[in-house]
Amino acid sequence: MAHTLTDIEKKSARAGLLLIIIAALTLEATSIVQYFYSQKGIKEEASMRAESQLETTKVRIMDIINQAEAAVRNSVWIAQWCLEVPDSMGRVTQRIVHDNPVVVGSTVAFVPGYNKRHELFAPYCYRESGTGEIKLKSLATTQYDYPSQEWFTKPIELDTGYWSEPYIDEGGGEMLMTTYSLPLRDSKGNVAAVITADISLDWLNELVGNISVYPNAYSVLLSRSGQIMVCPVETLVMNTSIQDLQRNSLADNETFNDISHSMLSGHYGNRRIKHQGVTSQIYFAPVERTGWSMSIVIPENEIFAGIRRIGVIVKLLQILGIVMLILLLRSVAKRQYKYKMLNEQKERIEGELQIASAIQMAMIPKIYPPYPEREDIDVFGQLTPAKEVGGDLFDFYIREEKLFFCIGDVSGKGIPASLYMMVTRALFRTISAHESSPDKIMSNLNDIMSQDNESNMFVTLFLGVLDLPTGRLHYCNAGHDAPILIGNTGAGMLPVDSNLPVGVMPEWKYSLQESVIDPDTCIFLYTDGLTEAEDLEHRQYGMTRIKELTQQLQQNGTFSPTVIINRMTDAVHLFVGNADQSDDLTMLAIQYTLHQKDFKFQRSLTLTNDIKRIPRLNAFIDDVCNANGIDMSESMQINLALEEAVSNVINYAYPTGTKGDITIEAKSNGEKMFFIISDTGTPFDPTARPAVDTTLSAEDREIGGLGIHLIRKIMDHINYERTDGHNVFTLIKKLSK
Amino acid sequence: MEVITNTQDNVTTAQLIGRLDTPASQEISGDFESLIKLADGTVILDCSQLEYISSSGLRLFLSLRKAAASKGGKVIVKAINNDIRSVFMMTGFLNLFEIQN
Repeated sequence: MAHTLTDIEKKSARAGLLLIIIAALTLEATSIVQYFYSQKGIKEEASMRAESQLETTKVRIMDIINQAEAAVRNSVWIAQWCLEVPDSMGRVTQRIVHDNPVVVGSTVAFVPGYNKRHELFAPYCYRESGTGEIKLKSLATTQYDYPSQEWFTKPIELDTGYWSEPYIDEGGGEMLMTTYSLPLRDSKGNVAAVITADISLDWLNELVGNISVYPNAYSVLLSRSGQIMVCPVETLVMNTSIQDLQRNSLADNETFNDISHSMLSGHYGNRRIKHQGVTSQIYFAPVERTGWSMSIVIPENEIFAGIRRIGVIVKLLQILGIVMLILLLRSVAKRQYKYKMLNEQKERIEGELQIASAIQMAMIPKIYPPYPEREDIDVFGQLTPAKEVGGDLFDFYIREEKLFFCIGDVSGKGIPASLYMMVTRALFRTISAHESSPDKIMSNLNDIMSQDNESNMFVTLFLGVLDLPTGRLHYCNAGHDAPILIGNTGAGMLPVDSNLPVGVMPEWKYSLQESVIDPDTCIFLYTDGLTEAEDLEHRQYGMTRIKELTQQLQQNGTFSPTVIINRMTDAVHLFVGNADQSDDLTMLAIQYTLHQKDFKFQRSLTLTNDIKRIPRLNAFIDDVCNANGIDMSESMQINLALEEAVSNVINYAYPTGTKGDITIEAKSNGEKMFFIISDTGTPFDPTARPAVDTTLSAEDREIGGLGIHLIRKIMDHINYERTDGHNVFTLIKKLSK
Repeated sequence: MEVITNTQDNVTTAQLIGRLDTPASQEISGDFESLIKLADGTVILDCSQLEYISSSGLRLFLSLRKAAASKGGKVIVKAINNDIRSVFMMTGFLNLFEIQN
């Protein structure tokens, strides 16, 4: 068995493991797919955020740029108008600075030689840092040489508005500045001067530097030439160009080159770059008109930090799920194992029940007819348990020409009832082996059964002893259903006293009852399995139906034990139909068939209790034996047995000196000789004497006891009864044919 | 029932004649008491004319046999008929007594 279990355990463990692996793989696959799609979504979201940030920032930059451009353009007409009066140009620039807070400085720088009076002329108006006072000065100095400056040359060259490269204004407050310049044409269409507006770019650092879509993201702003205008590393600002970075091999890969090229070409774009072990996404967009390019750099681990955190949570949940699955499988396996054990247990119990049933049924007489050689008795019994084992019992056997029989029903059903039933049956046999009186057998049984009866079980029991030569029935009923007598003259209940069932109360005094059973009469005994047999509507078979059937059988004159029980069984089956048998069904029928009229020979002798009368007995017996064709030597033995029996009565039944009669009745039915010795003396059972041990030596042998020993040896059956104040001692001898 | 006793050289022969039934046993109990006194020697119970024996007769036999056993004597049962032999058989007396034909 252990082997099978291990096999099954292995198999289920393997199945469980497979299940867990499949579950883990499925979970992992879903989480990978989910991770992939989430990553994609998150990346898209990051680009959206970056691009919108770039756009917003650009709009804000463009706002200031537009203001500066507008300030210049709005002054173009007046500047053109003033070309003829160059000295008024200072007023124009002053007005530009004054009217536009974003403009920190402005000039109208004349093309060299245009002004007839001055070769170079460039009045510059500016807002002094700190005081905010607007001052005027001239840029037409030899040191500065404005005609070679980018802000002067480029717009003329390009013939359009031009934003200069940002620069640090060394003169006024170290500010980052840029200049918008526009060529100014005279009425003839010749370029006369360049009109400018300087704006501070200090706000740029704040505006661009504060872009923070992600905690560690940063922005870089490049000028047209690649100069770094805004960058988290302050030392690089206005000090290093993107080309320098390339040259310094700070970032030397192709992607970097591609990025810088794209940015400087004024493209929009997004690239992935790995720098110093950190992979980042770069989003960039141009700032139109200024030629700047703005970018946002976001480290990827920041973009995916959320999804990574979710990934960790998902992993933990997966592990939790797997652990729970394992626990679940374990509990299922345990339950299965338990169920299997229960099943095995059940099978084993069922097997044992089969054996128990066989043992129990072996206790019930089942060879019928039980006494084929006898003409005085016929018995038939039947026990149908409702379950494998039951609590009903019946038993019978013959000892010394007495039929001992009983029928009983233990309270409850199944195994407990069956155990009690077995004990009852065993005790019945044991006690009745040396006790012939039903009330004494019953009391004895009750005393044993009610001792330590902790389960409070009890048994209703009818116990009878039928004296076969005389048909006298002694019986005792312990709460059982009264038997039915079916005879030639009618059918009816045998009256029974109400005694407690066996096992209920120790020391209960059971009453003895007596009746004479007429020849041919059948004693029908049953348990409540018959009266309480139920049909599908839970109606009971009931006493009335039993009585009706017995009446009918009586009237038909067919009431042998087999007929009664078979007819009763058929009737009950018909009544019950398809309903399950609810209780054990037990029936026992005993028919007494000894007919006095069968006795062809009958003679009797009455003696007084005087030992001197023995010769008269001898003569009587000789005559009887003679009349029945018994040979001399057998006749001598019968004589000896009778003499022993009668002299016993003479010697012991009557107190010395009192007179009494002894009747010896001899009768024969052609097969057996019956000698019935009766007296009215004190109760005396000669059969109660222990057997003589004939193997002992002379020294050890007792003098007495030889008489009853001889009687037993000579006769085929002997039987003692105390009836109606009489000692009745019956000796039976089979006649040899 | 009659008992004829003859003693010679420490050997007593008792001839039992008739039926040794219950009343007869009472009658001859005195004879057996005399025999018990002689039980230190050899007692021969001649049963050639004994027709019948009951348990009371057997008791007399057994008492004599017990006395002989205690006194160091000997009891010989002689010439029992078949009926009595079967009674002896039933009671185990065949083993208790020395039986002679």
